Amino acid sequence: MNITEKSEGDISQIYLDGRFDADTCGEVEDFIRKKISEAGEYRFILDMENVPFIASAGLRVVLVFAKELRNHQGDLRLTTLQTNVNRVFEISGLNNVLRIFDDMKTATQSFSDE
Amino acid sequence: MQHLSFDFPADTGILAKIGEQAARSGEKAGFSDAEIGDIQLAVDEACSNTIIHGLKKDPDRMFQLEIRWETGTIEILIHETGEPFDPTATKDPDLKASLEDRPIGGLGYYFVKEVMDEIRYQVNDNGIKTLHMIKKAKDLS
Repeated sequence: MNITEKSEGDISQIYLDGRFDADTCGEVEDFIRKKISEAGEYRFILDMENVPFIASAGLRVVLVFAKELRNHQGDLRLTTLQTNVNRVFEISGLNNVLRIFDDMKTATQSFSDE
Repeated sequence: MQHLSFDFPADTGILAKIGEQAARSGEKAGFSDAEIGDIQLAVDEACSNTIIHGLKKDPDRMFQLEIRWETGTIEILIHETGEPFDPTATKDPDLKASLEDRPIGGLGYYFVKEVMDEIRYQVNDNGIKTLHMIKKAKDLS
């Protein structure tokens, strides 16, 4: 998994590239955990344009941080899901409780609107 | 029926290769792209569970993956000797729960049950546990 990051104010935009499965989920978890503990950031957007596959292990990481960050008035939001990845969110029902956007701009704007 | 068999170590690093192999077999059997995504999800979840929970991520321990297919049907079998666990007996998550109330785990075998048509689990006299998953194509491509 290749992970890159850009900051937009206090929003951390994280770009994932690769499968988000039981093998790689720890890398994403460690990356976000470090941003929270070292930079005190609570607003994250995960760009999934280059994620061709997600398994329940990846969903677990998303769910853990969405829950935790909302307790700190932050959130973990998602953008640009590929069709098969979007279907996994739909089967899990997590698309109903997470905020998922079509593009990074709209996802970033959603934080500013609050 | 076409048939492939592989022996893999209990290492999550091989999941991508397993997904590619399942997708290739699904394509040959005439499944749609969406159905191939389902097959990849099921085989990934089942193998992840075998590697992590059944065989405790010990790369010296192996499991066998069998893929059988013919036009319109794919069967995936995982044979292992790890901890016993019957996925057909797992409880489904509450999909209507709020984010606060959603448990962190429990989705893996729910996915398998959702996307495959049939799942069987059996333990033979030698202690080999087999998960047998079957999917049939809805619209042949």
